[in-house]
Amino acid sequence: MIALDFELIQGSFTLDIHVRLEGRAAAIFGPSGAGKTTILDAIAGLRTPRCGSIQTHDHVLYSSSDGINLPPRDRHVGYVPQDVALFPHMNVQRNLLYGRHPGTSPEPSRVTAMLEIDALLTRRVSQLSGGERQRVALGRALMSGPSLLLLDEPLAAVDVPLRRRILPYLERVRDELGVPIVYVSHDREEVQQLADEVILIDNGRVMASGEPAVVLG
Amino acid sequence: MARVLTLLVVIGLWPVPQPASPITVAAAVSLTDALNAAGEEYGQNGARKVYFNFAASNVLARQIVNGAPVDLFISADEEQMRVVEKAGLVAEGTRVDLLSNQLVVIVPDDRPRTFTSIRELLDPAFKRIALGDPAAVPAGVYAKRLLEKEGMWTAIEPRVVPAVSVRAALSAVESGAADAGIVYQSDALTARRAKVAWVVPVDRGPRIIYPAAVIRRSAVTADAKAFLAFLQSDAATRIFTRFGFAPAR
Amino acid sequence: MDAWHITWFTIVSATAATALMLPPGVAIAWILARYRFPGRSIVETIVSLPLVLPPVATGLILLLLLSRRGIIGRFLESLGIDVVFTWKAVVIAMATMGMPLLVRTARAGFEQVDQRYEHVAATLGARPARIFFTISLPLAAPSVIAGAVLAFARALGEFGATIMIAGSIPGVTRTLAVAIYSYTETGRDSSAFVLLGISAAIAFGALWIANKLSERRPA
Repeated sequence: MIALDFELIQGSFTLDIHVRLEGRAAAIFGPSGAGKTTILDAIAGLRTPRCGSIQTHDHVLYSSSDGINLPPRDRHVGYVPQDVALFPHMNVQRNLLYGRHPGTSPEPSRVTAMLEIDALLTRRVSQLSGGERQRVALGRALMSGPSLLLLDEPLAAVDVPLRRRILPYLERVRDELGVPIVYVSHDREEVQQLADEVILIDNGRVMASGEPAVVLG
Repeated sequence: MARVLTLLVVIGLWPVPQPASPITVAAAVSLTDALNAAGEEYGQNGARKVYFNFAASNVLARQIVNGAPVDLFISADEEQMRVVEKAGLVAEGTRVDLLSNQLVVIVPDDRPRTFTSIRELLDPAFKRIALGDPAAVPAGVYAKRLLEKEGMWTAIEPRVVPAVSVRAALSAVESGAADAGIVYQSDALTARRAKVAWVVPVDRGPRIIYPAAVIRRSAVTADAKAFLAFLQSDAATRIFTRFGFAPAR
Repeated sequence: MDAWHITWFTIVSATAATALMLPPGVAIAWILARYRFPGRSIVETIVSLPLVLPPVATGLILLLLLSRRGIIGRFLESLGIDVVFTWKAVVIAMATMGMPLLVRTARAGFEQVDQRYEHVAATLGARPARIFFTISLPLAAPSVIAGAVLAFARALGEFGATIMIAGSIPGVTRTLAVAIYSYTETGRDSSAFVLLGISAAIAFGALWIANKLSERRPA
């Protein structure tokens, strides 16, 4: 679904990524500080690599040799950052509808039903629990009709029992909406359940890639 | 550390021979250049140093009445001297009429005009006319008196820009902010970007008098009187004439 | 002396000055908060100048620029526009002195807006203008408003620059501050005291409103 071939310098740290991801859900696994979030930022267009290319199977998002660098708004990539970043001054409904494009977006009711957030629409962001925020943020990203979904540690801020309840939603997104997911995680169990493939990152380089069972042992 | 501090305190408080305290002269701002020159000449003979405080006479009168430490006051009109007299602050018998002056109409030098009569000031081309504030600045009071005498005040009043002093009025004309102004002839001589359009004939204009007096509270009355005497000498008169003043008649 | 006309004129001018400052002030605050560009420190310095220079010095600079023989004044005159010694000069003086306060406060507000929100909005397809008006500005609104209030208060009391380029023309450019000065200078103390009372009342009222507003905002 996405080919990553780039080099990105961040301060004293260099990211050198060359990998092709083909499955429905790919996990980026590794210790903190390895550069995982930076990879998502590069795919989303929030950071620009020094050189290289980033392509999906029908779009070139970035290519230094061809002088292409699509701004984030043109990349059709949904992003849920680690701190979720729901717009605090808007209620749930306005958050969800922010990125909606009548032509290309999925039906709102379908998304809200799937994520079971119908009852939350009029709530303010500050009134939501951690798990509810995750689902709303997921819904917001999905409502923009992305061709790729990026999730940064989607279950990290959530306690274990809640994780088990959110995982099924992610599986639904993977299965029912058909939107490929690339997500960052440092939880083995979650990776094994959700991902078709894993890439192991350490110190800015891809150490291994393949099926979860193989890579994580 | 304590020893260093003690040493510093001792040095700081050590009686140092003080120079003779200077005379403070509060004078109308139109006298700035002339008095600075006179003060320099006076100082050359080893007499006491003279410090000048120049401002509009109404401002100075207020300061003196409110206790400002002034030794000699030279006002641009009698009214402001009267203010100080009423407060009982003029030293007995020291008041003299020192100088006289004339009013002129000036225009910015990039739009020079020469009038054949003062009535040309009524020309609508002069949208803004700078005067010292006619409510109290002597130059403005004189100008208003002149215009009233000529029957022009009602027409000119709406166009007046009241300036905080006569030099401020001059400056407004020089910058082009005002289209014309009425100042003293002595001011016009110092102007660099304004030209005289009309000199008000002595018999047509108000009688301009610069009274001077020693202030009663002064700690150096003898020296103040000496300086005042110098200002009436031939040497000083030559300086004043050079700067556009006339002796009081 | 028409105390009410002077008061009304001062408040209206300060309001006009604040309105005039807002678009460029907020834009500059935004640009300084988010972008690095060559000459950035020069822009920062120029914007801060009226805060640091003595007000009469700023007034003198404005006079040199705007008077008939000044660079900008010359151009305006060719368009038939008069600025110096008119009410326009009052508004310009107030806006110039208030601008640094608005920019500094608004800039701090924008800098505190987490860029993550702006990034997410971009990934959701929003163009920079939409991001600014729907995300950045609303989130920075308290600071922008505080900056505008500060600038307005500064404008109400503005004196040094005003007297330089607007003078103290009765009924035309006399604001409260300028009128108090003129009246005391010409011995009209009782008139000055009346205006002093009005100024104090306005100041109390403004502080009271400001306190009430900050009390209402949830902690």
